[in-house]
Order: sequence, then C-alpha cells, then structure tokens
Amino acid sequence: MRESKIMLLQYLTGLFILVLGTFHMLLLSVLAPTSNKVLYQYASTNHTLIGGTLYYSTVTAIYHTLLWGSIFELLLTFLVFHIFNGFRIILSEQFPGAKAEKVITYSMLILGLVIFIWGSRTIVLMLLQGGI
Amino acid sequence: MELVLKGFGEVVKTVTFRVRRYDPEKKEMPKYMEYKVPVQRGMTVLDGVLYIKEHLDPSLAARYSCRMGICGSCAMIINGKERLACQTQILELNKDLIKVDPLGNYDTVKDLVPDLNKLFKNHESVKPYIVREEAEPYGEYIQLPEEREKYALFTECIMCGACLSACPTMATDDLYLGPQALAQAYRYIADSRDAGFNERLNLLDSKHGVWRCHFAGACSEVCPKGVDPALAIQLLRGVLSKNVFIKYKQNPAKLGPERASIKEVL
Repeated sequence: MRESKIMLLQYLTGLFILVLGTFHMLLLSVLAPTSNKVLYQYASTNHTLIGGTLYYSTVTAIYHTLLWGSIFELLLTFLVFHIFNGFRIILSEQFPGAKAEKVITYSMLILGLVIFIWGSRTIVLMLLQGGI
Repeated sequence: MELVLKGFGEVVKTVTFRVRRYDPEKKEMPKYMEYKVPVQRGMTVLDGVLYIKEHLDPSLAARYSCRMGICGSCAMIINGKERLACQTQILELNKDLIKVDPLGNYDTVKDLVPDLNKLFKNHESVKPYIVREEAEPYGEYIQLPEEREKYALFTECIMCGACLSACPTMATDDLYLGPQALAQAYRYIADSRDAGFNERLNLLDSKHGVWRCHFAGACSEVCPKGVDPALAIQLLRGVLSKNVFIKYKQNPAKLGPERASIKEVL
C-alpha cells in the first residue's frame, strides 16, 4: 500500500479516535446510565460501594447494548491501527533499512492483530454473556 | 570627495571564537579551540574565520566562495543556529563568545567543512529539472506569471544545506529525503511546464519521503534565503492526498510557436 494511503488512514483514525474517545469519556458524566452521574456511590450507613458510573454492573450494562458494543469495537479498531502504525513509523525512522523495516512492519502487524483479537474477544464476550 | 565611514576599519572589540576542530585522518575526537579575534565594524563570521586562518592557525579548514550569500558554501552553525557565515555580522550577534560548528547531520570532511554528498544525492534523486514527454523542445514553454508564482518561492534555494542540518528527522532517519530535496520536488511538480509527477511519486510517497516530516519547521527557520521548505512539504502532502486513490496525470504546458517562426517575425 502506498504510504500516502496509510498516512491518510492514520490521520482519519486519529480523528475518529478523538470523536469516539469523547463519547467513551462522556460515559462517565453526561451519558452515564446512572441517575446522579457520580462515579462511586456508597451506602449511607457504611462505606460499601452500592452504585455509580464505575460500579461493575453499571459498566457491564453498557457493554450489553449493541450500539455501545459497536462503538467500542470501532474505537478498538481505530486505536490498534493508529497506535501500531505510529510505532512502525517511529521505529522505521530509528532503524532505517529494507530488512529492519520488514521486521518492524510484520512485528507491528502481528502485535496489532493479537491486541485486536484479544480486545474484540472481551467486547464480544461482554456483549453476549454479560461478563468475562 | 572621499567618503569616510565613522568607526570603519577600527577595532571595536575583541571576540573569542570557539571553533570545533576535527580531522578524521588523525583519528582523534573532535575538540573546541578558542581564538581571540579583533573585530572591526562590518566584519562577518566568515571574516573572523579567515582572520584565524591567516593570522592564528593556518590549519583551520572552512569552505567559502562568493562571500555575498549567493553560493551557500559557508553555511555553518554559529552560536547554535545554522547561518551563512558571510551574512552574519559579528557585532550583530552581540556576544563576546562565538561558537562555530560545522553543519550537523553530515559527516565532517575537516573542521568546518561538512560532506554535502547526502544533500546532493537526495537533490538529484527527485529529478530537479523539468520532465517532458518530447525529447527535444521545438519552441518555448508557455507559462503565465501567476503560474510561476506557485513555485517562485522555492526557486531561491542555494543548496547551502542548512535545512538538513536543522531537521530533526534527518538526525534519526538516514534515508529521509530531507527538506531541500522535497522542496525542490514540489518546485518542479508545481511548475506548469513539468510532467514528471509520476516519475517522482515512488520516491516522494515512500517510507522515507514526504510523510516523514514532523513539521518541526526548523528548516524554514534557518533557511538564509527564506525558501520555507516546511511549506513546500505540506503543499506536497496536499498534492499526494488529493491523488491518493487515482493515478495522477500531470498535464504540462503546451509548447509555443516554433523557434524558426519566431526568428522569421524578428
């Protein structure tokens, strides 16, 4: 693939990460599926955690919806491409040369795939079964 | 009437030159040596270096030619910044100590003389000339003044090599084309008479081409002729981005009337 196509994807994924990442962060506040939007809610009598945006069951409830599952999967895809292509660029500059670049490109491709499969597994399991 | 410039020819102050000395043939580590140079009004850093060579240490090596900022031979790092030594007034630096280094990101031939082979090879690789389909032009290439404006800024390059010395990507990536070659590639691609975009594409769109610029802007900052290679690189990126999914066809300017017919008119 031509470098200009790869770099165009790099810039576009960066933009999408910004948008989807914003939604991801808004889940902690404005879009939080809790009524009072607090991160942690403790019982009034003792310090037992009973709710809040970061409460385990609240978090898993978000993953149960197909919309949010798809958004997270997209975010993961864009992040994996952006991060590992970024690493490829940095390492190619540090170790220029045909052989080194081949090793770097394939290493990043394999590492990216491993992370992508592992992350997708988490999202899909959460979506289907409600937990990992 | 004889014109007398006040203070001209008098020693205004004495400045210390700290010059990086290195001779690869001696297999010694580079070192700095200090020289006291009496400074007159109007004296440039190149004059100071030549004063050292003539009066204090004839073994000091420096490259220079025109002494008027045209040839680009005397580019060196003066007080941490790439400049033409012949265009840098010592008194304007307003320092008692002037540190002089050879250009960075190049091998050193000796002392203040960098090995500019990298610069010339990269420059040559982008085909810095008008590429046409016809073997021999039979007339003039027609170009409007506004068409020339598109690349006029980038024709000012004197190949002094200061931009490569300042470029942070050049410091890490040996295969990077560098701001000078990329700016010249844009200069010819933007030229309405040129048809060589596709011939240059593989090199410009490679892993060490136009996309490796981090837009630090150091090249434009140090360019003694104000060429602005960073701008050329961004414009080049724009050209590549616009043509990322299609095979770009560059339509060169048409040839004007045959020379023979012009002669007849004249």
